[in-house]
Amino acid sequence: MDSGNEDALDIIITNVVATFRTRCHLNLRTIALEGVNVIYKPEVGKVLMKLRKPKITASIWSSGKIICTGATSEDESKVGARRLARTLQKLGFRVRFSDYKVVNVLAVCSMPFAIRLIDFTKKNRPIASYEPELHPAATYRIKQIKATVQVFSTGSITVTGPNVQNVATAVEQVYPLLFECQKPLRK
Amino acid sequence: MSPRVCKTCGCAEIDLDQARGNAVCTSCGSVLEDNIIVSEVQFVEGSGGVTSAVGQFVSADGPEKAPLLGSGFHTSIGKESRAQTLQNGKRQIHQLGSQLQLNQHCLDTAFNFFKMVVSKQLTRGRKMAHVIAACLYMVCRTEGTPHMLLDLSDLLQVNVYILGKTFLLLSRELYINAPAIDPCLYIPRFAHMLEFGDKTHQVSMTALRLLQRMKRDWMHTGRRPSGLCGAALLVAARMHDFRRTVKEVIGVVKVCQATLRKRLTEFEDTPTSHLTIDEFMRVDLEQECDPPSFIASQHKTKIQQLEHELTKKLNEVEGEISGYRDEIETELENCRPKLRGMYAAFTKHTDDKEREGKLPLTFDPPEGEDLEMQAAQQFTRDFLCQVLEEEEENPGSGQPGGQPGGRPSSQSLSSILGLGRPTQDPPEEPEDGSESGELDLEGIDDQEIEKYILNEREVETKTELWMKQNEDYLKEQKVKEDRITKEKEQGTYKVKCVKKSKKRAPIRASTAGEAIEKMLEQKRISTKINYEVLRDLNQGGSGPSSPVPTPPESSSSSGATGRPRAPRRKKPNRKANSLAATASIMGKRLRPLVSSIPKKKRNASQVSSSTPPGPATPPQLATPEREATPPPEAPPPGEAVEEEEAEPCVSVLQLMKGNEYGCDTEEEEEFF
Repeated sequence: MDSGNEDALDIIITNVVATFRTRCHLNLRTIALEGVNVIYKPEVGKVLMKLRKPKITASIWSSGKIICTGATSEDESKVGARRLARTLQKLGFRVRFSDYKVVNVLAVCSMPFAIRLIDFTKKNRPIASYEPELHPAATYRIKQIKATVQVFSTGSITVTGPNVQNVATAVEQVYPLLFECQKPLRK
Repeated sequence: MSPRVCKTCGCAEIDLDQARGNAVCTSCGSVLEDNIIVSEVQFVEGSGGVTSAVGQFVSADGPEKAPLLGSGFHTSIGKESRAQTLQNGKRQIHQLGSQLQLNQHCLDTAFNFFKMVVSKQLTRGRKMAHVIAACLYMVCRTEGTPHMLLDLSDLLQVNVYILGKTFLLLSRELYINAPAIDPCLYIPRFAHMLEFGDKTHQVSMTALRLLQRMKRDWMHTGRRPSGLCGAALLVAARMHDFRRTVKEVIGVVKVCQATLRKRLTEFEDTPTSHLTIDEFMRVDLEQECDPPSFIASQHKTKIQQLEHELTKKLNEVEGEISGYRDEIETELENCRPKLRGMYAAFTKHTDDKEREGKLPLTFDPPEGEDLEMQAAQQFTRDFLCQVLEEEEENPGSGQPGGQPGGRPSSQSLSSILGLGRPTQDPPEEPEDGSESGELDLEGIDDQEIEKYILNEREVETKTELWMKQNEDYLKEQKVKEDRITKEKEQGTYKVKCVKKSKKRAPIRASTAGEAIEKMLEQKRISTKINYEVLRDLNQGGSGPSSPVPTPPESSSSSGATGRPRAPRRKKPNRKANSLAATASIMGKRLRPLVSSIPKKKRNASQVSSSTPPGPATPPQLATPEREATPPPEAPPPGEAVEEEEAEPCVSVLQLMKGNEYGCDTEEEEEFF
């Protein structure tokens, strides 16, 4: 039953965050003045550069560390990162593309049923926690695969994890628990 | 060890007097033991008539060596850091807890939580205030008291989400499973604050019923309980003929108008809202509703489905129409020799239209320029979208004249897309190149990247703009650099230390009063504190003044260079405490003390001075008159500032003023 329903559930990846290093010092002012889509934040000490084609935003620090966010798949993220490094190369810095690592993946998934959050929290203590004063969703943290699942009462869930495989595993793990606490539809 | 048998007479009845420390034989009267070591508590009277116990507190987990100092009020020296932290925490817990009117049992439980937290070293890197607040909130949740996290954040003036984060983390680490918040807990508290008089209980009952109904209708999952309470109370009040406006309710419940209105509309959508008051009290509808957000998303999906079906139908109709068209054409061909005259013009007309339709669409792609191709593609896409929209607006129009325009467009759309795709694919084919640091240029379109870099003229313009925009920042940087170069020349250049804690010069003072003054100057707390009062306080030996002279005495004695920061930071707090206690500066008299104290200290004094107005003892009434003299010194702008500050304070007081939660008011426990 579960695997059958898994096929029907689409897990949509909405954000992939990756970091890499250029192994050289970058002059933020140069980048800010010669780049097209850049925002310079001198107080924080970084430059935000936005690319159009893989739609990503990159935070560039002067140490050469770059964080790349907004991609919708791991491959896209890599392409974007490399494109960004190429841009920096063209600006005149001796850029080397190293230590590329996907740090975080955010995915959303929608269950075909509503969920009773209080029941869900009670059954899964202490892994699950629910504070309606702070956030409308119940948070379920899976330690082994280091993934966090946020469960909303409408049945949509958001999953964050270090890579796409973990995210898929997390959904598989959490699905039966959610199925138990579902709320049967009336209308 | 009391002797059993008297040595002189052999009688076994020996009277042991604990008070005198004697052991006397009852028959012959001879004193058998004298100066027995007794373990009794002795009391000493201090200034102001306050009695305190003689002796000092030795903690069970303190240092092995006995505290060398003989006097009773050196409680903060000679102990290790852990004991100091715990003591500090205990004091803060009692302070904060008394403002929330928690009883002793709750405070003790909170202190136990705090001990656990400290032993797990979770206080590291966290502000003590946050940890204390989290412990207190844990107690509130486990005991089920009607305190919200919002109240705590009000008292501490800290963002509620920060407190919530700390609370969640600590409860996870300590494996404390707090039961879920039930909005029903808050009803009595809010009902009391809304002042329904005699009917408070009835209104509360009605509101509770409404809440239970809301729960069953799935309005409460994922929502703040206070918002639901507000809505339930508003409706209940109206049902019992109380005219409570939305503004009053939101002032008490602490949600915004929009939230309350939304809850009310959601409730309106449930079938329960259609019952009359009597029916509601008697009958309970069986049917349950779906959660409102679920209904909203379902609505969306329904609309999408409808659109989908509509387009499907359109396509079907198109298909039918094209079928008809084919038939007509075949018929025409068959009948052509006969009807050439009439239909020739018609077919020519349609052919022209087709050609016209196709030409502009297929004209542009063969051109090779990148930019123009993209522009053209965009243009054609827009055009196609328009055409498709027009089609949708005239659904099912069975006119063959209208349709031919549509069909060639769909044909050429695919052709355009087919042409368009190859150029887009290569850039999107990533190949994982070598990780050795060499940049793999595969799939990266250099031309496109060139677009990301401005040419020289653009760079100049941008430089100008940027310089103008960030003038202030650049000036600051320049000033800083000049300063650094100057200092370098002078040879006094020091690397700016990252650490925030400054080691202050030790205060050298001859008397306690002087020491206090100097410390206050250093800390720049307040010019509004009446030093005479302080000096008078110091003249008493022990009692309420005990916390006050200890820091200056110790600072003057030890030199205070290596002292930890915690005790220092607490000094003004204690001072304000003692002042607050002795002067009962609560409620109305917030302003003077709050005036020019820097933010942190202001919070501390707010916290201390907003202790609940317990029964004011007579000796404390005498001193308010003395304290009334310094207030007039407060400058008007300062007052204007704190009026805003005082308001949230007052509201908290209003919240806390009722003693009817079953929690006892806490008297000042610091003065042992």
